Amino acid sequence: MSMSTRSRTRSRGRRQSPAPAPAAADGQQAGGAAAAAAGPRWIAAVPILRRGADRPLWMLIPCAVAMAIVVLIPVILVVALSLLNLNIGTLHEWLAAPFIGIRNYVSAFTQKSVIGTSAGNAILLSVGFSLLTTIVITPVGVLAAIAVHRPFRGRAVVRALYLVPYIIPTFVTALVARIMFLNHYGLVDKALAALHIASVNTYWLLGSHSFWAMTLTEMWAAWPFIYLMTLAGLQSVPREQYEAAVLDGAAPAQTLRRVVLPQLSGILKLAVVLSTLYHLGNFTLAYVMFPSPPPQSVDVLPIDMYYRAFSTYDFGVASAIAVITIVIFLIPVYSYLRLTRMSD
Amino acid sequence: MTSRQAAGTPRQGGAAAVPPRRRGSRRWKAADTDRLLPAWLSRTALVVIALVVLVPVGYMVLLSVTPNAQVALGDVSLSGFRNYVAMWSAAPLAAGLVHTLIIAGVAAAISVLLGLLAAYPLTRMRFAGRRAFLYSLLGSQTVPQPTLLLPLFATFSFIQTTIGTHLIGSYPPIIFTYMTFGLPLSAWLLVAYLRTIPRELEEAGLVDGCSRARALRRIVLPIALPAVVVAFVFAFLVGWNDLLFASVLTNNSTQTLAVVMQGFDNTQANATLPLYGDLMAAAVVSALPVVVLYLVFQRYLIRGLSAGSMTGM
Repeated sequence: MSMSTRSRTRSRGRRQSPAPAPAAADGQQAGGAAAAAAGPRWIAAVPILRRGADRPLWMLIPCAVAMAIVVLIPVILVVALSLLNLNIGTLHEWLAAPFIGIRNYVSAFTQKSVIGTSAGNAILLSVGFSLLTTIVITPVGVLAAIAVHRPFRGRAVVRALYLVPYIIPTFVTALVARIMFLNHYGLVDKALAALHIASVNTYWLLGSHSFWAMTLTEMWAAWPFIYLMTLAGLQSVPREQYEAAVLDGAAPAQTLRRVVLPQLSGILKLAVVLSTLYHLGNFTLAYVMFPSPPPQSVDVLPIDMYYRAFSTYDFGVASAIAVITIVIFLIPVYSYLRLTRMSD
Repeated sequence: MTSRQAAGTPRQGGAAAVPPRRRGSRRWKAADTDRLLPAWLSRTALVVIALVVLVPVGYMVLLSVTPNAQVALGDVSLSGFRNYVAMWSAAPLAAGLVHTLIIAGVAAAISVLLGLLAAYPLTRMRFAGRRAFLYSLLGSQTVPQPTLLLPLFATFSFIQTTIGTHLIGSYPPIIFTYMTFGLPLSAWLLVAYLRTIPRELEEAGLVDGCSRARALRRIVLPIALPAVVVAFVFAFLVGWNDLLFASVLTNNSTQTLAVVMQGFDNTQANATLPLYGDLMAAAVVSALPVVVLYLVFQRYLIRGLSAGSMTGM
């Protein structure tokens, strides 16, 4: 999938770097957004090697082999697996498993998993979860970054504090959230009851409210990512532009709107896309926060896939869901590439 | 602070002379050029967001020192410090910690090594597909991780039955997986940093007759050590934080801290007296190294990734 988009972008001679440091694994790395500025300019400026000097291209091989084995081949393999009839016995001999075409995909949408829902439901939940979270955290992250931009006493402490939700491991966040959302004794129920908003017996870890418990927790944990990216973007606006705006008599709101926000739009687009992708693939939060098997309202795609594979051993159907997940992932990626190409 | 700040009203129209500021001066002073929001909005936002961040974190720390019996009733107190002692026997935390240190540590070390090996030709040589290689490293980050789980599991199963050894549940598959997950970030970090190391240094060595590989080891590596350390830290965090792959690729004798914590929570859900105080204490211990490492090293990560760019951080 990344191959076709890559060749397309290369042939159109895109000069703009698509992404800085990846939000990898648990998304626990800082957005190295400024590397986007370090993109094609330096890539092109590599001097030609002296004639006769040795060219150790072999150094690339271990990296390439590892990436091929763990990323490239599995993507191709999962498509193949999704077309086979697999269970726990035939998985390790999958080469000999019977070919059943798209029956796994049909089963995914028609048969309920052990959790009790179908793949269609899982798609809706995943997309809703991801979009809701991103829509809420983007203004919060941008606001926080702009508020922190101006130096004040204790700013370093605040800046460190703001990172904490993002850098706490997801499984820890999920555990704390689980305790907070406990029925009757948890902090959330007690607070809501004290404010007379809801009953002290509201269930957050079962039933339909569980979706909101999960989404709120994700919002709490994920907003610093947008904040970090926006901070990086703010710092790449040259000082002279701020000063020029003030010299020209701009009020703060005008400076913000006319000078700063337009320059942030590039990095914000990237942040939004990366954020959406991350929430779509978040398995740990739902897995740790809720009992096993989880309520139907949190049956997002990664959870659906995991339970079909390791609870009922329908590896073929689970692979089909994995392929569906790739397709869903492609949508934000594709939109981002089109958006940035259009504004070039 | 300055009298301008004390006045508090935003300046409307009328130019003011802005004093020249030395670029990169450490002691920042607030100036009108930094004010993008009305002061009241800025302050309110800062306080509200800080509170929202602090409440769950504070709650976790408070519960970690509350005796289990009181946690079950929803109370908070400060008399449960023995949770930090009892938790080691409530769940196999020590074992989980050791396994995580080994798995994440080895994976990070190899990841950084391969990243450095890849970064060297990517920054010192021009060859067809160089840009494609770099961008495909980035592109690999858009592949959803859960999708990789099943085919990897199938691959390891297949190798396991073909070779005949017990593979899944041992160290190599999970280490190899984490190593590869940390590879793109390591490679990008080292590429950005190596670019700032002048080529003259290696070329002096090359003139004296050593090979490129030797030049990398003897000349470049010592200079790139800061970036190597930073890359190691973030590759290490990949292994510490992951749960999905650990829950499938490890067994009782190799389970990581994340798996132990999830199992601990699972067993407490239906217990008569859930050991949630111990659980929160374990959670603090699971999170604290990560938070400390990250806060210390994130500045270097950003600096390393933007090394040589014109942003002047």
